[in-house]
Amino acid sequence: MGLGFIIGVFGVLILSHAAYSTIQYRGLLKIMEEEFSGPPMNVVLELLLGFVFCIWAALTVPGKFLSIHPDSEENRIVSLSANLDFMIFNHRAKAFPLEIDMKLKH
Amino acid sequence: MVSKTEETQLNSLENQVDNGGGGVWEYLCLVRKLKVRRSEKVLKHGLSILNDPKKRSALGPEEWTLYEQVAIAAMDCQCLDVAKDCIKILQKKFPESKRVGRLEGMLLEAKGSWAEAEKAYSSLLEDNPLDQVIQKRRVAMAKAQGNISGAIEWLNKYLEIFMADHDAWRELAEIYVSLQMYKQAAFCYEELILSQPTAPLYHLAYADVLYTLGGLENLQTAKKYYASTIDLTGGKNTRALLGICLCTSAIAQLSKGRNKEDKESPELQSLAATALEKDYKQRASDKLGLLTSALRSLKI
Repeated sequence: MGLGFIIGVFGVLILSHAAYSTIQYRGLLKIMEEEFSGPPMNVVLELLLGFVFCIWAALTVPGKFLSIHPDSEENRIVSLSANLDFMIFNHRAKAFPLEIDMKLKH
Repeated sequence: MVSKTEETQLNSLENQVDNGGGGVWEYLCLVRKLKVRRSEKVLKHGLSILNDPKKRSALGPEEWTLYEQVAIAAMDCQCLDVAKDCIKILQKKFPESKRVGRLEGMLLEAKGSWAEAEKAYSSLLEDNPLDQVIQKRRVAMAKAQGNISGAIEWLNKYLEIFMADHDAWRELAEIYVSLQMYKQAAFCYEELILSQPTAPLYHLAYADVLYTLGGLENLQTAKKYYASTIDLTGGKNTRALLGICLCTSAIAQLSKGRNKEDKESPELQSLAATALEKDYKQRASDKLGLLTSALRSLKI
């Protein structure tokens, strides 16, 4: 988790550096009175690198992903809950009292 | 609804708690969340927490929920003095509480004094005539006394007001099945499937009832619902797989004389049979012989 976190922070820093370079580049172009067609090649590479780092960190830092399919092996419904609102106490277990004598001690 | 992971978690916690490891409070919380009925274990381990003043104070305000849970478990195991003590403590803490009043009514039911319990419930209902829980207890009391038709009457009246309560519909369906009134039970299961279409076990129960009713149309619908159960459980529900095999053979027998065009492709039955054999080989290989002979007799 530590490594993923560090890489995520690194990716965010790279992205912000790319943003700053693009703003500086635009300022430079304004001085030279040229049109701004797109950021220079190295800024684009930097953007891609920052993107890859951030995505990798986002996938590894949160931990294990859970399945969302309702019929997957973990999520499939195995039994219904016992209908406790309609529970009756008049059942056959009355004939088998508990062997250990249970008491509430206060 | 208990999913497979929750079931394995519950069983592992139960083993851990039974063998003296910690985790009693997590086990009790899981039992309460999943609404399963494990009264003996809840009673034993709940009392172990409640009888220890250190552990009791560590719970904080959840202590009272534990008292309620242990009281109900004690009534289920017929340890009525434990239940009475728990209820007395709850009464001291929460006088004039309807939840405690319901527990007192349940204690009277467990003792068998039906008239007094009826009086207690009606007095609680006077203050609040639309109290769902007390009305359901009245139905349960009628069922416990053996007055099934009275229980059906009360339950129908309850469902006229609270039509969205699926526990009540399920209870009514089970009562009808026990009385062999299958058409009414099918209606109740249809209501359940309408309200919770992704719950596979309702499809399974509906298919069972339709298969019991019999007749060509019911069998075809039952086969469809068994198939939808298999779909919703990822193919792991053994009962639905067997249901498909039985339905196909029953349909084949019924339509033997008719000689219609054979629109029932035999693939579904053979697929279900293969899946069943694989499952049995994995889980109960000594019973595989029984299964293959039973399936062979169905194909006739």
